[in-house]
Amino acid sequence: MTDSSLKGTGASAGSGPRPSTPARHRLDGLFCPESIAVAGVVPTPGTVPYDIFYNILASGYRGTVYPVAPGKRSICAVRAYRYVVDIPDEVEQAVIVFPANVVERALKQCGEKGVKSVIVISAGFREVGPKGAERELKLKEICQEYGIAMVGPNCLGLINTDPNVQLNASFARKMPDHGRIAFLSQSGALCTAVLDYAREKGIGFSKFVSFGNKAGVTEIELFEYLHQDPQTDVILLYLEELRDGRALIEMARRVTRGEGAKPILAIKSGRTPQGADAASSHTGSLAGEDAICDAVFEEAGIIRVNSIEELFNSAIMYAYQPLPQGDRLAIVTNAGGPGVMATDAAVRLGLTIPRFDSTTTERLRKALPAAANMKNPVDVIGDARADRYTAALGAVLDDPNVDQALVILTPQSMTDIESIARGICAIHRETAKPIACSFMGAADVQPGIDLLQQARIPHYILPEWACAAMTDVQRMRQWRRQSLDEVERVPVDETAARAIIDAAPPGYLPEDQALAVLEAYGLPVPRYKLCRTADEAVAFAEEIGYPVVLRVVSPQVVHKSEVKGVTLNLTKADSVLGAFERMLRQLRELAPEAELHGMLVRPMIPDGYEVILGAERDPVFGPTLMFGLGGIYVSLFKDVTFGLAPISRATASRMVRRVTAYRLLEGARGGPAADVASIEESLVRLGQLVADFQRITELDVNPLIALAADKGNAVADVRIRLSE
Amino acid sequence: MDRSEVEQRVVKVTCKVLGVDPEMVEPESHFVFDLGAESTQSIELVAAFEEEFGIEMDEDAALAVDTVGGAVDFIGALVE
Repeated sequence: MTDSSLKGTGASAGSGPRPSTPARHRLDGLFCPESIAVAGVVPTPGTVPYDIFYNILASGYRGTVYPVAPGKRSICAVRAYRYVVDIPDEVEQAVIVFPANVVERALKQCGEKGVKSVIVISAGFREVGPKGAERELKLKEICQEYGIAMVGPNCLGLINTDPNVQLNASFARKMPDHGRIAFLSQSGALCTAVLDYAREKGIGFSKFVSFGNKAGVTEIELFEYLHQDPQTDVILLYLEELRDGRALIEMARRVTRGEGAKPILAIKSGRTPQGADAASSHTGSLAGEDAICDAVFEEAGIIRVNSIEELFNSAIMYAYQPLPQGDRLAIVTNAGGPGVMATDAAVRLGLTIPRFDSTTTERLRKALPAAANMKNPVDVIGDARADRYTAALGAVLDDPNVDQALVILTPQSMTDIESIARGICAIHRETAKPIACSFMGAADVQPGIDLLQQARIPHYILPEWACAAMTDVQRMRQWRRQSLDEVERVPVDETAARAIIDAAPPGYLPEDQALAVLEAYGLPVPRYKLCRTADEAVAFAEEIGYPVVLRVVSPQVVHKSEVKGVTLNLTKADSVLGAFERMLRQLRELAPEAELHGMLVRPMIPDGYEVILGAERDPVFGPTLMFGLGGIYVSLFKDVTFGLAPISRATASRMVRRVTAYRLLEGARGGPAADVASIEESLVRLGQLVADFQRITELDVNPLIALAADKGNAVADVRIRLSE
Repeated sequence: MDRSEVEQRVVKVTCKVLGVDPEMVEPESHFVFDLGAESTQSIELVAAFEEEFGIEMDEDAALAVDTVGGAVDFIGALVE
């Protein structure tokens, strides 16, 4: 940007940016504005307000920019205005860099000026406490009043590398290269680190957005925009706080499936204050935001990764290579050890190392020395030069049993690294199958890596990283092929359940009522009766047949074991009589204040697998469901899965199959297979129950006894907690 | 010192420190939003007011004053 490019009443470098899409989208004003006012600019280099303005000029922005700097005639030789409303031309976007205490006034002026797109860089809002939260609320109100799409506050800004726009409205040090990856981040500081990292790796971006406190535009709206952005192939997200899990699922599914599908990869950090410790139920203590977030991402088709390295490792695989047709990987290496390590990693991560067909083996035999390994992984051996690498890579990629290839190179004295890289690039231009490379080392291999990066062939320092990236791509491929069924209501007796729940005070429902609620929703509740006297208990036991179970029912008794309130396996009338009287006596001794509703009598449930079905009302996600195997699997290994209620049958099936201990339910180690379909049915019904009744804050069916295949399952214990 | 004198001297100091024309300065003028004060200039303003009026001001309380009129009230109370 030079002064000679300035014209009119602001600084302008061209005929104005053109939006990336034919129809003007609500967010085009943020990404491709015709004109920008920077409100709160100061003339001091090295300050955020100055640097933002300077970066817009220096990025070669194609529109017109106006500094709003009270008391200043000009900034960077561009005529300045006292207020946004003083600018004589139309202004499409404003970037507010004033201190927090005057942002509200600046935003209001933007509204009065008719500015519909605003980026609030300033910090000092919700992130600093209640006073800041109050300020932020006012910004939201102004945005609502004037129909403003606002990014921020408390953010780094926004970058659009589109050559027709060239906008760096941020205080990042440098404009990134133009690329096909969009990066969205809730953390501004991380953005600058990512930009630096990406520059070193030769990774470019299409759009780069730091959305800070997301008081206006959120990641969900940005997903929608980037889905239709022809310059974006992959969306990366760094998220600290997820507010609307359901809306995220809905939008992410639209983005990641169907026509024009684009992968979303995300890092999610941070936890809500409503952590596991605050929850008293079993489900609550296991849930926590992070575990539910996993479930949300899984349902949304968002690939969750754990580090920036992994994020970009996978992103370049998606962005630079075609989607493979399957999971079969061929490996070509000049070093046995790394080849074996890569094979181990690939298999561990779920890729397949196929056998080559005879034609491929024959081609390899002709091209390679006898000492080479013609099987997968192909070892072209240490003294291999470009001719062997290209012959082997060409052969394996032509094999109908191979979907993708990984080339591993270690730099030995005769290894012609650059020639090999050029040979790979030539094959890459001709093949429709994805290729990844791992030139292991640092200094010697760098020229080869540079050639690969220029050709957009993903390169990884370690072959295991290449395998992990290919696995992530595979996950996306599977996600797109996976069927997603709709949530359908199952027939239930909602009226009966409502009669009980509406009449109950806050707190735990007595067991007989909790069972009646489950019964109304079609869960497999064994016959039961609340008996007031020992004689009544005996009569009911005689009616349903022995053996039976006696359970104390009292609103004051939440944990029955504390009052010795359960007696199992009573096989005759005398036993029932004795147990009834003993349990009554113990209750009076151990909990004299407890009001006894009676003893619940039900049959002993046959042996089966103990599973836990739980639900809780999460402040962020609403009703959530949990599934796991009981006993140590849940308490020690926390081997549980989550879903947002209500759930479809497909989701129930995924929840059950995703626990590590699922193989036990299938009948591993000679045990009987459980009636999994019946568990799934119970999960669907439980999901409907907690979705229907806002007052249910916690619900544990623990355990549900999963019986052998086709025998169904049975609720052995339940706890339902109601709110006000 | 009467209020009008305090006001006159506050405006003089403000114009000098922030480099703005006197006609821009009104009692309701916000140092940052209307007169373009940078964060470092707010501290300079406090020091310049102390020197002009021969007073010492509590820095936190003085920095919380954000308009010219507010500064006149704040300083006026100290010089009475």
